[in-house]
Amino acid sequence: MRRRRWRRSLPIQSHTLERYKTDAVYDDSVLALRLGAGLAAALVAGCAPDAPRDTTRLTVGMRFEYPTPNELIVPPTLGHKAITSQFLLPLMDEEPDYREGPPSWNPALAETWEFSEDRLALTVRLRAGARWSDGQPVTADDVRFSWQAQTDPDVAWTFATAKEAIADVEAVDERTVRFRFSRASPTQLADAAPEAVLPRHAWGERPFGEWRSDPGWFFENPVASGPFLIENRTPGRELVLGRNPEYFEADLPRLDRVVLRTAADGAALATQLLAGELDVVTGIGAADAERIEGRPDLRVHAYSSRQYTFVSWNTGRPQFEDAATRRALALAVDRQAIVDTVWRGYARAGSSPIPSDVWARDPELEPWRHDREAARAALAEAGWSDGDGDGVLERGGKPFSFELATFAGAAARWDAMQMIQADLRAVGIDAQPRRFDPNALLPRLLGNDFDAAVAGFAIDTSLDLRPTFHSESIGGGHNWAAYANPEVDALIESVAGRLDPQASLEDLHRLQRILHDDQPMLVLWEPLSLAAFDAELESVTPNALSPLANLEEWAWR
Amino acid sequence: MIRFVLRRLLAAAVLFLIVLTLAFAAVALAPGDPLAPSDPRIPPEQAERLRALYGLDQPVPVQYVRWLGAVGLRWDWGQSYRTGQPVADVLFEALPPTLLLAGAALLAQYLLGIGLGLLAAFRPNSWLDLGVRVASLVVYALPTFWVGLMAVLVLAVGLGVAPAGGMTSAAAFELGPAAAALDVLAHLWLPALVLGLSMAGDIARYTRTSVIEFQATEAGRAARARGLSESRILLVHGLAHAAPRLLQLASVSAPLLLSGAVVAEVVFAWPGLGSATLLAIQSRDIPVVLAATAYGAVLVIAASLAADLLLARLDPRIRAE
Repeated sequence: MRRRRWRRSLPIQSHTLERYKTDAVYDDSVLALRLGAGLAAALVAGCAPDAPRDTTRLTVGMRFEYPTPNELIVPPTLGHKAITSQFLLPLMDEEPDYREGPPSWNPALAETWEFSEDRLALTVRLRAGARWSDGQPVTADDVRFSWQAQTDPDVAWTFATAKEAIADVEAVDERTVRFRFSRASPTQLADAAPEAVLPRHAWGERPFGEWRSDPGWFFENPVASGPFLIENRTPGRELVLGRNPEYFEADLPRLDRVVLRTAADGAALATQLLAGELDVVTGIGAADAERIEGRPDLRVHAYSSRQYTFVSWNTGRPQFEDAATRRALALAVDRQAIVDTVWRGYARAGSSPIPSDVWARDPELEPWRHDREAARAALAEAGWSDGDGDGVLERGGKPFSFELATFAGAAARWDAMQMIQADLRAVGIDAQPRRFDPNALLPRLLGNDFDAAVAGFAIDTSLDLRPTFHSESIGGGHNWAAYANPEVDALIESVAGRLDPQASLEDLHRLQRILHDDQPMLVLWEPLSLAAFDAELESVTPNALSPLANLEEWAWR
Repeated sequence: MIRFVLRRLLAAAVLFLIVLTLAFAAVALAPGDPLAPSDPRIPPEQAERLRALYGLDQPVPVQYVRWLGAVGLRWDWGQSYRTGQPVADVLFEALPPTLLLAGAALLAQYLLGIGLGLLAAFRPNSWLDLGVRVASLVVYALPTFWVGLMAVLVLAVGLGVAPAGGMTSAAAFELGPAAAALDVLAHLWLPALVLGLSMAGDIARYTRTSVIEFQATEAGRAARARGLSESRILLVHGLAHAAPRLLQLASVSAPLLLSGAVVAEVVFAWPGLGSATLLAIQSRDIPVVLAATAYGAVLVIAASLAADLLLARLDPRIRAE
């Protein structure tokens, strides 16, 4: 019996709605509509409107359309990975323990693994009983095939360079596979393990050169190794996952079916959740989270995104060439106010490119406090003064005026930039916020051709600060600020060279303190990811690695 | 008539070519690079590889000729940068929902508009007439997205009389044909009503004016002199008098309806061209944005053409022009 949950009467939260509800005339006119729609709903559902919940099924809303089960031929996104990993398992899964220390790994298709003494070979034993959904065993050949696909130039996988250190992947026997590395590094497991193992017997018949020309082909050959398999897909609307009977954990998943619905707008998804048409919505905005928080039958889960939003000051511009001025800017901007108003508290004021819930974050790093007087004094000390009395500071005859650029599309960021503009105006600095099409702005940032820019980055497990702060990443890389500090370069090199990431903790702390003092970028805030779900659901634990983490354990109470 | 049709068809084709060229030029000449890696972990070589794959390493005129050739000869709009899917497939899947929504909205708009217009024309300058005129102005002035949001909040979330979004219920692929059609209808009525409402006001005012005007014409007076009933004069002869103008209005309202459909699709999570375009814009998916623009242009040109031809059929003076 199918459930029509949108027929359920829901408590009305908004005052506006309360007013409508008490309006008798309105109520009468609506009654007829309600009867009509109720009839239609009952007809469609073929059952009474208040049918009991179907506890075998879950409906999830996402602002994302799943284009293909082949993760190698689409731009990498968290959403895509989260869905793919429900039916195509990797060798090992990264544990969401980034708060406690460097990543640990959970066996997925691998059962055990072991490095050789020189750490140049990694031998992986596949799980006994791991089968594809068509009954074929998962073999070492599948692992080798996956590596071949990842590194094939025709497949043109975005992260192909992550496999550079892997010289060969050898199928020792059906269940044993050996990775041979050209060099040892702290990220060897992360280089080898986390991508989906692909079904050679199903996908191998299509030449790599044709993979990108027809991503839909992979839907027609949906072989699964994970808890779920693809049951149905309606392009642009939904992807339906069903239970994989061949999954090696016999009593999982706990749900028989998960329907992933797509919508282009986050607010529309939140509304569907409020109306009872969706059970879970990921990636919602702060305003929608606030709307949902008031509802006793729904929960909002705010969790680390390992992202940070920042202002990059182009150190090649005379306004931002000295650290003293950049520090004064950090004092002038009230980041807590942005968090409280724009983010409605669903963010944290930032102070480091390593976000506060990542193990390597320096716990002693205090965010620059907002202090207008101190900012004015620091600016005066750095040589800025308002000689012509127009309210804008000058140095060397040039006014402290600049363009504060950002990508169009992020409304919250744009709102925050208005607050930054006002904060800077209060200390005599003229910032002009401007929005650009990403296609137009990004090449300017990569070419260090801008004044100051607001943007966001995410940091992954490797905590590699090379792309953003190493001097070799100036001009074409993501060191937009053109920041060059030999000590920072040396620290980044030494972190990358140590096999045990834990041993780099001191260097990582030192790096953060230097960046904090030099301020090539002002870290504004760390946004939290927001998911909302029905309070009757249990084991829902989205994390920075996946909004659908642990989906096989989710269940209705 | 055939020469007239051919002339209009040729004009439509030329107009389409101009739209295509302008859209391509706007994208090609805009500063920037759609494949520049936004993620610091993506190596620059990857962008180079993709650029070659999508032909963006060629000079702009070569890209244009190839693109136009592919579109003209094979209706091949290239591949989506975001999903790798053929763009024609993406839009082919998105087009029917948009046509359904716009068609239903058009129907709602005419039924409501003509009904209210006639109601007002029955008793000109009465309270009813005043009410219709004021209401039609109000709905005309209200933005579709606001009406849509309010409709969803009040009718779907608050009262539960309609689904809050989507075109079908979850996992509707299991329903039989009749139940599936009913399911779509249950999802369609509210967005179609909201979308139709904005133009319904305009149509009500046109209907009212035309029908009242008709009563003062010689034909109107003759009809009355022949002893026809008031309702027959208004419903049959008055409406016939208003028909060409109302049809003309359809060609004007087609682009409005289409742009309104984009907004309504986003508010109601309706999986059509508007939603596809928004997803494409959010992810810098230029080929899809370009093709969606062209599809929009085709729809508008086709609607205008259809209205022109219908009008010419109803009014010989236009054919003679």
